[in-house]
Amino acid sequence: MKHKFKSAIAALLAGVMLGGCTSMVVHPGDRPGFDEGEEYLSIWVHSIEDTDEGQAYRESVDAFNKEYDGKYFADIEFVPRNDSGGGYADKINASVMSGDLPDVITVDGPNISAYAANGIIQPLSPLSDEQRDVYLPSIIEQGTVDGKLYALGAMESSVGLYVNKDILEKAGVEIPDKAHPWTWSEFLEILAKVKPITDELGGYPIDMTFPAGEATIYFYAPFFWSNGGDFVSEDGLTVDGVFNSEENAETVEFFKTLVADGYMSPVAIQDLFESGRAAFKFDGAWAVNNITSNYPDINLGVAPYVVSDNWDGGRYTPTGSWAFAASSGTDNIDGATALVQYMSGVDSSIRLMEKTNSMPSTWAAYETNDLFTSDPNYKALYDQLSTYGHPRSKTPVYPQVSTSVQQVLENSVLSGHDTKETMDKAVNRINKKLKRYTGQ
Amino acid sequence: MTKKSQSLLGMSFFGPALVLLCIFLFLPMILTLVFSFTDFFALNPNLIHFTGLSNYFEVFQDEDFVMAFLNTVKFVLIIVPCQCLGALGLAMLINKVTYCKKYFKVAFFIPVVMSLAVVSNLWIQIYSPEGIMNAILGFFGIEAQPFINSASQALPSIAFMSVWQGMGYQMIIFLGALQGINPALYEAADLDHASAWRKFIDITLPEIKPICIFVLITVTIGAFRMLVQPMVMTGGGPSHSTYTVVYDIYETGTVNWEIGMASTLAIVFAFFVMILTVIQNVVTRDKDEFNDKPRHNKRRMKSIGRMFVKDTEAEYVDQSREA
Repeated sequence: MKHKFKSAIAALLAGVMLGGCTSMVVHPGDRPGFDEGEEYLSIWVHSIEDTDEGQAYRESVDAFNKEYDGKYFADIEFVPRNDSGGGYADKINASVMSGDLPDVITVDGPNISAYAANGIIQPLSPLSDEQRDVYLPSIIEQGTVDGKLYALGAMESSVGLYVNKDILEKAGVEIPDKAHPWTWSEFLEILAKVKPITDELGGYPIDMTFPAGEATIYFYAPFFWSNGGDFVSEDGLTVDGVFNSEENAETVEFFKTLVADGYMSPVAIQDLFESGRAAFKFDGAWAVNNITSNYPDINLGVAPYVVSDNWDGGRYTPTGSWAFAASSGTDNIDGATALVQYMSGVDSSIRLMEKTNSMPSTWAAYETNDLFTSDPNYKALYDQLSTYGHPRSKTPVYPQVSTSVQQVLENSVLSGHDTKETMDKAVNRINKKLKRYTGQ
Repeated sequence: MTKKSQSLLGMSFFGPALVLLCIFLFLPMILTLVFSFTDFFALNPNLIHFTGLSNYFEVFQDEDFVMAFLNTVKFVLIIVPCQCLGALGLAMLINKVTYCKKYFKVAFFIPVVMSLAVVSNLWIQIYSPEGIMNAILGFFGIEAQPFINSASQALPSIAFMSVWQGMGYQMIIFLGALQGINPALYEAADLDHASAWRKFIDITLPEIKPICIFVLITVTIGAFRMLVQPMVMTGGGPSHSTYTVVYDIYETGTVNWEIGMASTLAIVFAFFVMILTVIQNVVTRDKDEFNDKPRHNKRRMKSIGRMFVKDTEAEYVDQSREA
């Protein structure tokens, strides 16, 4: 009898362990605040709840539930994302397979095209012009695939060309206004003037490198765009003739000049700009906060991004960040759209900006915060973003494009390989991945 | 207790573990094999097709994979001899010293306990153009080296760091084996006025041979699995010079979402490592013993293997206490 009892306990334990693996359906009353008559909306975010970003999302969802009390109830789940991008993406992939996607998910800007092309997210319910005008144009453009709006972000981002004003002053160089950025030839002349000073300081005129990962395409794509080049065709399905165009080859050659003339170090030197030994540095908007608080000796300024001599005045500066989208798993697209709009709306973007210092996605959020009007560096970044922000390439094979841009720059600029040959190789590699979408 | 109820009880305790093992180990292994014959794409699982052996043909035409494979082989060729010989050398030195023995054991073992990601970040600083390594070279009048920033030096630099990091673990295993040698053998050799070198060749090496084989195989497999160090330190670069097979599997599967292709890479890789291990096992097997009494030899290796596992566990606990 005793042994039978033991067996039963063991079997029960096994059952409980397995039972934990099954999914749950949420009914009114299961969650505090989820009442009878409300429609249930689930949302996943790529963040940890205890972080400032996580808290901002939590507060936005609570505010949504208050505003839509009696109509919708949003239930947020935090799915941490590790540094290499796993965790959250793995859970999304697994849920695509099992069909357990929530109603709303967060998507990184460059992945929107791939998610849309593979039916993981669906177009939002139509928005009026008034509703669209709330957002910066770069946010609408980032979220639009084939003319349909899929995603709206609560954050934007930008990359600045940071300058050490003391070094520039010594060299007799003045920072131009945003409408008249330095062209490549002007920039080369300036670098020639700056070089003797930075040589004396034991540094280089520019602190730059082409690191593996997303940073390279994010920081340096503007050089390609301002020269009239791009990485993929409009529909995101052709790279031959676009990625390996003459314009792009010219851009790579320009970078080669920077290394050949000793304006940038062929190997990465840590904190070159921060230690006051470089006149220029490309870095994300977060650098302003980092440099002003940790390196107060640096007289920091932001210059407009450098453009090619062939620049037509069009949009060319870096943008893009995480956005909210309605998953293909939702049956309640109107509810999901309402949640996406709320999570990316003015109040939510202000909350995120205040907690994380991120750049907001809505015009109204900028107006409420004097950081972007009073601080000249933040103002310059915001002006650049709102006037010249250009989304990253929209293609379902974005990861391959991003890696290829980094490889082309690293192989031809730093390792001295032939530009055309490296670009053609990259085209072949991307084409292999495109087959899935073009069916060739 | 009847036999039936006994086996039922056994099953009920063993059941949960078996179920979990099936779900998280055996099933994924089988699925990897199945997926390797398909074009399974994580973002759109509905579009899965059976593609036969085409993935396998494609793998060998893929430049990235071939490059990754060659890089991995280079890593193995550098790491395996350096780490095995280094660990044996350290173990013999520690076995000899009488002062601060515990200190040396702990000191050499600490890098093993540290997280690989942390160690990698530390070595990025050490290898940086203005880092401590270049400062030391500068002291001797050697000009600064790019280390992980150069396509030709990145791989040996990372291999060196890996050897440093992993050596302590094998050292403890060797130390356990060295301490297990009967001192009477050395005493007898001393009576015959044998030199230190002869004692090493005729007593030490034959006595610890099974452990040497074990260490050789585990270090080889470990070196083939190289991933974290290049991922953290160089991102596989510069110019793909530190891109390894496991890195390729990771990129293909999680960055490019191509689970089918990634599974094929994993299967090809697993087969290669298995074949190599078998070859290594056959080559390093003692020919005389093998011919005379192969069964006995096998049993002996197993029992020594078991012994060393106990030894290292005990050592490890000791180390942790001391630390």
